[in-house]
Amino acid sequence: MYVGIVLVGGLNILLGEPLTMVRFLRFSVLLVGLCTAVAGHANTAQPITTADDLGPKVEQPIEFPHDRHAGDMQINCMYCHTYARRSIVSGIPPLQKCIGCHQSIESVRETPRIKKLFEYWEGSKDGTIAPKTPIPWKKVHDLPDFVRFNHERHIQRFYFQQEKPVQEVCGYCHGDVKTMTVARRSKSLSMGWCVSCHEKDHAVDAVSTKTTQGPNDCWQCHK
Amino acid sequence: MSVTNLLENWSQFRHKHPVGDQPHEEYKWAMSIDLDACTGCNACSVACYAENNLPVVGKEKYSHGFAHHWIRVERYWDADGRDFPDQGAQFLPMMCQQCEAAPCETVCPVGATNHTADGLNSQVYNRCIGSRYCEANCPYKVRYFNWYDYPTTDNVWPEPMNQQLNPDVTVRGKGVMEKCTFCVQRLTAAKSNARTEGRTVRDGEVQTACQQACPTNAISFGNLVDPEAMVGKQWMQQQVQLDKDKQAKDAEEAASKLRGYRILEELRAYPSVMYLERVRESAI
Amino acid sequence: MIDNFDRRDFLKVLGWGGAAVALSGCGNTSVEDGREIVTSYSEPAEYVIPSIGVYFNSTCAQCDAGCSIMGRVREGRVLKLEGNPDSSINRGKTCGLGQAGVQAHYNPDRIREPLLRSGDKGEAITWDKALELINSKLAGVKGEEVAFLTGGTSGHINVLLKNYLAALGSSNHYAYDAVSPSVVRAANKKAYGVEMPRLRLDKAKVVLSFGADFLGAWVSPVHFSQQYAQFRKGTRPEGRGVLVQVESKMTLTGANADRWLAIRPGTEGILALGLIHALGAAGMKIPGGIAQDYSLERVSKDTGISAEQITKLAALLKERTPSLVIAGSAAEGYAHGTQNAAAIALLNQVLGNVGKTVQFPAVVPFPQVLPTVGNRYALQALNDEMAQGKVKVLFNYGANPVYSAPAAMKLKENLGKVPFKVAFAHYMDETALQADLVLPLDSALEDWATSVPEYMAEEAQINIQQPLMEKLYPGTRGMGDILLALLKQRRADEYKGYEDFYSYLHSAVLQNKVALGGTGKDDDAFWTATLSKGLLKLPCDAGKISDKITPTAIALPAPFAADDAYPLQLIPAVSASLRDGRHANLPWLQESPDPLTTIVWDSWVEIHPKTAARLGIVEGDIVEVTAKNGSIKAQAYLFPGIHPDAVSVPLGNGHEAMGRYAKGVGVNVFNILDAVFDKGTGELAMHETRVKVSKTGKRVVIVKDEGSAGGQQMGRKIAARVTSDKVDLSGEV
Repeated sequence: MYVGIVLVGGLNILLGEPLTMVRFLRFSVLLVGLCTAVAGHANTAQPITTADDLGPKVEQPIEFPHDRHAGDMQINCMYCHTYARRSIVSGIPPLQKCIGCHQSIESVRETPRIKKLFEYWEGSKDGTIAPKTPIPWKKVHDLPDFVRFNHERHIQRFYFQQEKPVQEVCGYCHGDVKTMTVARRSKSLSMGWCVSCHEKDHAVDAVSTKTTQGPNDCWQCHK
Repeated sequence: MSVTNLLENWSQFRHKHPVGDQPHEEYKWAMSIDLDACTGCNACSVACYAENNLPVVGKEKYSHGFAHHWIRVERYWDADGRDFPDQGAQFLPMMCQQCEAAPCETVCPVGATNHTADGLNSQVYNRCIGSRYCEANCPYKVRYFNWYDYPTTDNVWPEPMNQQLNPDVTVRGKGVMEKCTFCVQRLTAAKSNARTEGRTVRDGEVQTACQQACPTNAISFGNLVDPEAMVGKQWMQQQVQLDKDKQAKDAEEAASKLRGYRILEELRAYPSVMYLERVRESAI
Repeated sequence: MIDNFDRRDFLKVLGWGGAAVALSGCGNTSVEDGREIVTSYSEPAEYVIPSIGVYFNSTCAQCDAGCSIMGRVREGRVLKLEGNPDSSINRGKTCGLGQAGVQAHYNPDRIREPLLRSGDKGEAITWDKALELINSKLAGVKGEEVAFLTGGTSGHINVLLKNYLAALGSSNHYAYDAVSPSVVRAANKKAYGVEMPRLRLDKAKVVLSFGADFLGAWVSPVHFSQQYAQFRKGTRPEGRGVLVQVESKMTLTGANADRWLAIRPGTEGILALGLIHALGAAGMKIPGGIAQDYSLERVSKDTGISAEQITKLAALLKERTPSLVIAGSAAEGYAHGTQNAAAIALLNQVLGNVGKTVQFPAVVPFPQVLPTVGNRYALQALNDEMAQGKVKVLFNYGANPVYSAPAAMKLKENLGKVPFKVAFAHYMDETALQADLVLPLDSALEDWATSVPEYMAEEAQINIQQPLMEKLYPGTRGMGDILLALLKQRRADEYKGYEDFYSYLHSAVLQNKVALGGTGKDDDAFWTATLSKGLLKLPCDAGKISDKITPTAIALPAPFAADDAYPLQLIPAVSASLRDGRHANLPWLQESPDPLTTIVWDSWVEIHPKTAARLGIVEGDIVEVTAKNGSIKAQAYLFPGIHPDAVSVPLGNGHEAMGRYAKGVGVNVFNILDAVFDKGTGELAMHETRVKVSKTGKRVVIVKDEGSAGGQQMGRKIAARVTSDKVDLSGEV
């Protein structure tokens, strides 16, 4: 095995064996000490396959109910995460967007979460929050800094070209968000997990029978 | 895959890309550099520092050969023993040649440098363990190693200089190898935009940082697969073929009167950069 | 990291990843949930998409060439500068200097608040206090006792500056540029009727340059590099152009010449007249009397260039027309610089180039915004005034004479005689350190301005400089805003309508909307379009250049005779990146190797291997270069591209201040220059210093990029070259 990697040097033969690759990846990280701040749980082995690999519960400044918005109200994910179709980042909705709707939704105006929301917009009475302060949301799907996941490509491919339902497309990586309040990671987001999908054949559009695989060169995500 | 198989079919593995058993499909990025236009001004090099988050290492570390200029301008003199270099100097912008059969790739113990489908020689920082075998094996000496953790080194990116860092390019830490990427962050963005519009990248749509800065347009860059691309036309006109280690035109009895060549072609690394010889007037 | 991120509106930003990646350098290595905070805009601008760069047009302020740039702005930070393709000056291209503009902006050593001298220290004060202090110091001071020292200025800053001086009753605007081509300007004016004619390298078959480093540091290098690329194209109707460079120290342009001729320092004019003589001998009609005394033998003996070479060059010039002859800083740097430049201009006239490759330039039809170009004479004039105690209040904007004036001028001492000195500065440079009040300026990427370059290409244009991002420091101000505030102290009624410099510019442009090509356009639309383009192109009538031959009496002295005490000529070389020293604090430029020697982060003494052998000097020897007015010590570099009678030291390093990247790097060669002046213009003659070189006994390893082979290819085909008769360029794409 070792010889094969050394001499061929290509990634292709490795791709068939995600297990090996992940082990190698971790090996390199530990050996080099690439970065000083290796987080505590990064050193502990993580399962690499796993649809049910739930991330930790993250406490947010406001307990945002995805289930109300995406579930009950059936709001398109990209109504709020508006950059997903045209940028590598999906974007956290600007405060203005939340307020835009909620200032005309009287029915929930006095609920604790919405009151909190308006504190960020109007400033809190005790003066601890200045008007128009961005809400300090915590990142839930936080990839390592050397990974550059591109939202636009995935949305374009699966939502626009294959015409899959948006919640299904987003759900490939984010899970069934419409059943959650605060979002929680439900996929491992490890490289092996990414590759396991990239090496499948995917139709190029809604009607064609032609398929292609996802790119498998390292520079697609690491650069 | 056995060792025997590898050794017996070595040339086949080495040739995988150039010999056409796996031709490039959509993209094969390549460059051509006109040495007659290049003035040696170094704008390309500074542009590369700006685009690719290259650390300024300072005099002390520079003296140890730790400089990180992904593109450097080499300067040569004639060795003819005359008093003055009366035909000027020879300048050569040298960067990773993105070899099709790259000598660096075969020696990496962890597969951190390898070939992409676009014909680039990729360097993956998070995979690199810093063995530096690749650097030793590179005939062009264009790989640069992070001997220090520059992000935390004094006066490399002191506040607020760090705000200039390009977020599209990883800031490398200690212990990893790095080199010219043909501005892969720009290529990826251009490819992504093109794919969204259901086409491939048009010639001129994406420029490398060095090319964009070059005051004399000495650098052309593009997709060799695209018949409309300037770079492909240049390679064709100069009769330089990517997958040959000896060009047919050089075998001709009479000199071909063409000036395209690749550096150290005989090493069979199949570089993706063609240079055009500098011309000097014979009448003066 | 993100917690500390500045939360001003402009920066309210960040999607996933984005700036976090860059700012935290190499961050976490595994999937981490709930550790980082994502800050989004509270009210996003419409054009902002996180992670996607937006380009804004502006103008490069790194030198006076006036290249148009586009800044890539992402998440509220300017990341990179590119050239703006719409400008006929630089056509989308930039030089290394321009690229480093972002480092001038993000430089950690910028001054952040107004400082008032208190003993040896600067004490932070408020802007209100600072401006009031200026007002009070001006009370009781006569108009003629106020002086304003600047570098080259143009555009509306220049207008306000002149108006301010007028309001004070002063006309003392001294524009100082240590490395400007001011003698050539004067000679051009005499010969062609314009100071800076348009040079058409793209039309010339032969370019003969007498020490003009037009590819490196002369006038408008990016523009000339563009032209040079055209000039070298084999597919051009005129064919591939031939460049011959005559100079005593090889410049970047010289290194690109088809033939580089090492001329004895100061004899450039003799060669020019010798060529006229040789052209006459070759059958060209020369108006009577010109260059009669300049026989081949004499010229060859005086210049050190072989008779064969002169004949060949004359034949080339005769055969391939039009050609273009350029006089550069090497030719003008002598006491007879005006004569040299006149002789070179005469050669152009004799060759019939005037009107063909030397053309009338495009001129902006608004005289008030035209550039006030800098020269060296201005500093001498100011220095004399200060020495006599005639200057009571001195303003300094963009000049650093304490660094760049020869020690012989005693400028620092004379500055001490000025009771109140105000410096408008970005960094604490040598001159700002002498000031009583230092006012910190916005960087060029934060400030508003217009600029009109001295050298125009085919179109007249007014360049717009606009902020590419929010100010880094609240304590800095734009030069225009400061001038406006000062003017309001004097002429409150006249300027009360302008809230700030932006509104002044806005109304200045809109008042001239029709003349600026905005006929019939809505005001707002025109203004927005102007800012969006970053420049205003103006219709202008092409004037006619004077093409008659003006054989004025040219008096060229005999070449300098050997001087035993000071046997060598000192050539202070203008480096393309450091120029007059103003960019020494930009680390990219310090680490960018000098193209010819490949040396970084230091100064050096270039010396011909023959001369070095005679003196027993080897590479890396620390040598002392002694002139009448002082000496410097630096590492010796054996350089074949220099005349054996000369040594060269680059300008730009040797700062005693100016921040961490500049201070203490190399030596300052300005210091030891002799105070010799060009007889025609009174300009300091930069090349008139004679020196001796001696070993100090110390030796260092030179830090350079060149390998141990010393720039040899060892028989390999690495950087290849071919002669023009062995190559067919016609089919090239």
